[in-house]
Amino acid sequence: MNRRSDTWLAYFMILPVVAAVLAFVIGPTWDVGTLSLTSVVMGQERGFGTLSNFRALFADPVFPTVVKNTAIWILGGTILCVMTGLAVGMFLAIDSKMTMGLRAIILLPWVLPDVVTAMAWKWMLHGQVGVIGDYISRMGLTDGAISFLGNPDLVMWMLVIVLIWRKMPLVALILCAAIRSVPSEQLEAARMDGANGWHRFRFVVVPNIAFSLTAVTVISMIWITAEFTLPWVMTGGGPANSSQIMSTYIYQQSFQFFNWGVGSAMSVVNLVFLMTVVGLYLYINRRSWAAGGNS
Amino acid sequence: MGSVTLRNIRKSYGPVEVLHGIDLDVADGEFVVLVGPSGCGKSTLLRSLAGLETISAGDISIDDKVINGLEPKNRDIAMVFQNYALYPHMKVRENMAFSLKLNKVPKDEIESKVAKAAEILSLTAMLDRYPKQLSGGQRQRVAMGRAIVRDPKVFLFDEPLSNLDAKLRVQMRSEIKELHQRLGTTIVYVTHDQIEAMTMADKIVVMKDGHVEQIGAPLDLYDTPANLFVAGFIGSPSMNFMSCTAQGGKAVLSNGQVLGAAPAGLGEGQAFTAGVRPEHFVIGSGALDAPVTLVEPTGAEIQFTVDIAGDHVLITTRDRVTARLGDTLNLSVEPGKLHAFDPETGARLGGV
Ligand SMILES: Nc1ncnc2c1ncn2[C@@H]1O[C@H](COP(=O)(O)OP(=O)(O)OP(=O)(O)O)[C@@H](O)[C@H]1O
Ligand SMILES: [Mg+2]
Repeated sequence: MNRRSDTWLAYFMILPVVAAVLAFVIGPTWDVGTLSLTSVVMGQERGFGTLSNFRALFADPVFPTVVKNTAIWILGGTILCVMTGLAVGMFLAIDSKMTMGLRAIILLPWVLPDVVTAMAWKWMLHGQVGVIGDYISRMGLTDGAISFLGNPDLVMWMLVIVLIWRKMPLVALILCAAIRSVPSEQLEAARMDGANGWHRFRFVVVPNIAFSLTAVTVISMIWITAEFTLPWVMTGGGPANSSQIMSTYIYQQSFQFFNWGVGSAMSVVNLVFLMTVVGLYLYINRRSWAAGGNS
Repeated sequence: MGSVTLRNIRKSYGPVEVLHGIDLDVADGEFVVLVGPSGCGKSTLLRSLAGLETISAGDISIDDKVINGLEPKNRDIAMVFQNYALYPHMKVRENMAFSLKLNKVPKDEIESKVAKAAEILSLTAMLDRYPKQLSGGQRQRVAMGRAIVRDPKVFLFDEPLSNLDAKLRVQMRSEIKELHQRLGTTIVYVTHDQIEAMTMADKIVVMKDGHVEQIGAPLDLYDTPANLFVAGFIGSPSMNFMSCTAQGGKAVLSNGQVLGAAPAGLGEGQAFTAGVRPEHFVIGSGALDAPVTLVEPTGAEIQFTVDIAGDHVLITTRDRVTARLGDTLNLSVEPGKLHAFDPETGARLGGV
């Protein structure tokens, strides 16, 4: 009897959280899911249970560009972010006065609001008045100023660079902490065993920080997939859709063109992708979770 | 071959010098134990030998080849760490094979070497386990296996047994000693436990504050300690010290009683510190009367604490002496077992 009422009390206590999750996460997700299967014309719902939105999406001539750009954005961004983060983290893990100072100030890009970062970089990279183009042309490396964000071949990579500038510091700090907690005896034992710097990195450091490394990779991937402000404020998907990625395209289709059917279909594609990433992460780390986080 | 020579080794951390010119010769196949109190520089000396620390001055040579500037991996030395330092993500087999793999030894040769080392250390059944699935003693054996497979010129051990419980420590002590007899490889072994040093070593190096106090065979150190520090450090329970003066060939205590015959070579009236080990007192025959202040039977022997000229002095005997608290014991010192030390410098006086 007592057991029973305890159980009910427990359910009652978590009710607010469950309600909030239902209202703000599950509910909208469900709405987007059903919306993607409903044909909408001029803001009026016209029949449920159709794949016409997805057909429209795949027929959209911009869609392949969006997929390509999103791949650069998410995969390129994540891989470069983690790799530079690992390199910077290795450097920060060295004990010296300089790295101690750097560890403190490296988070600066992180505390700036997204919009500020985006505006600052947008003007620094501007074709006519940007300081970066100006500096490069004055050094005589180029004939005139380059329009970094106006060039369809460059623009996606410029966005990735700004993204890394903004997201890498936390990755570097997390990995730095992980690297610093690698037992020094293991590194010394490896030195005695004949390991050079690369061997020690590959066979001692990386396995010891593997847990942090996969966690940071997945978290970066999720951040980057969800990142909207940076590309939207810097380019708005332009020029001519050449920097259009899923998040900006969803926003544009849904809230500028009110093309909710296609917008929601794309959101569903996005959701499936994210769930795959998280599922993969949980699968890779299944042993570590059971072991309580280490090894 | 694996003889080690250290000449005038100095090591400073910034302005602080922690090794003040160490000289040591280790013959091929010898088991040398570095012993001394915490912070005296044992680990630093061992790590300098391994190449994990760079020395500030001096020469380290193995087989008469100076190796000061060589990387640890080129010194042909293997080291066993206090906390094992096994690679947690590698199985026992991979832990032991790691150095061979890095040195591009052929696969079948690696396999046979690992199998052989595992057999010596009775680890064969555990080759496919991870370190965290092993007990402390087994991990210690894996750490030794990792050293053995390399077949190095010298093994270094830094307090390898201090993380084990007392019983296992005794067992591993004899295992290491057996291993040494079997392989015949030179071993330099660090401990702060003088019993470990006495039982295992061919040669003991007693260190204090970055200096070598004495080098010698265990029983030599026990019988003829070179100074007060070594006399007090080696032996358990430790040696008793009393202030005496030499008068007419006798060691006379501050209260006028005679402790025993003074060692030869002391000047008449010279003040010195007399040292006598607890087991070198003879009870029941002597001129020295001492009241008992504590009786502690341990089974195999009885420990008496007595009052001699105001000092507490420990005496052990294997005889069933029935003296009780407050009784007076009649004591003398076994001939030739009274050590004399300079009260100021602590150096040994007289010849025994
Ligand atoms: N990295 C370092 N920087 C500065 N001083 C150090 C460093 N490592 C050791 N020391 C100092 O050197 C001295 C010798 O240290 P060492 O570790 O060799 O002692 P030890 O004899 O091994 O002691 P223990 O028995 O406690 O292990 C100590 O006084 C210690 O404070
Ligand atoms: Mg030490």
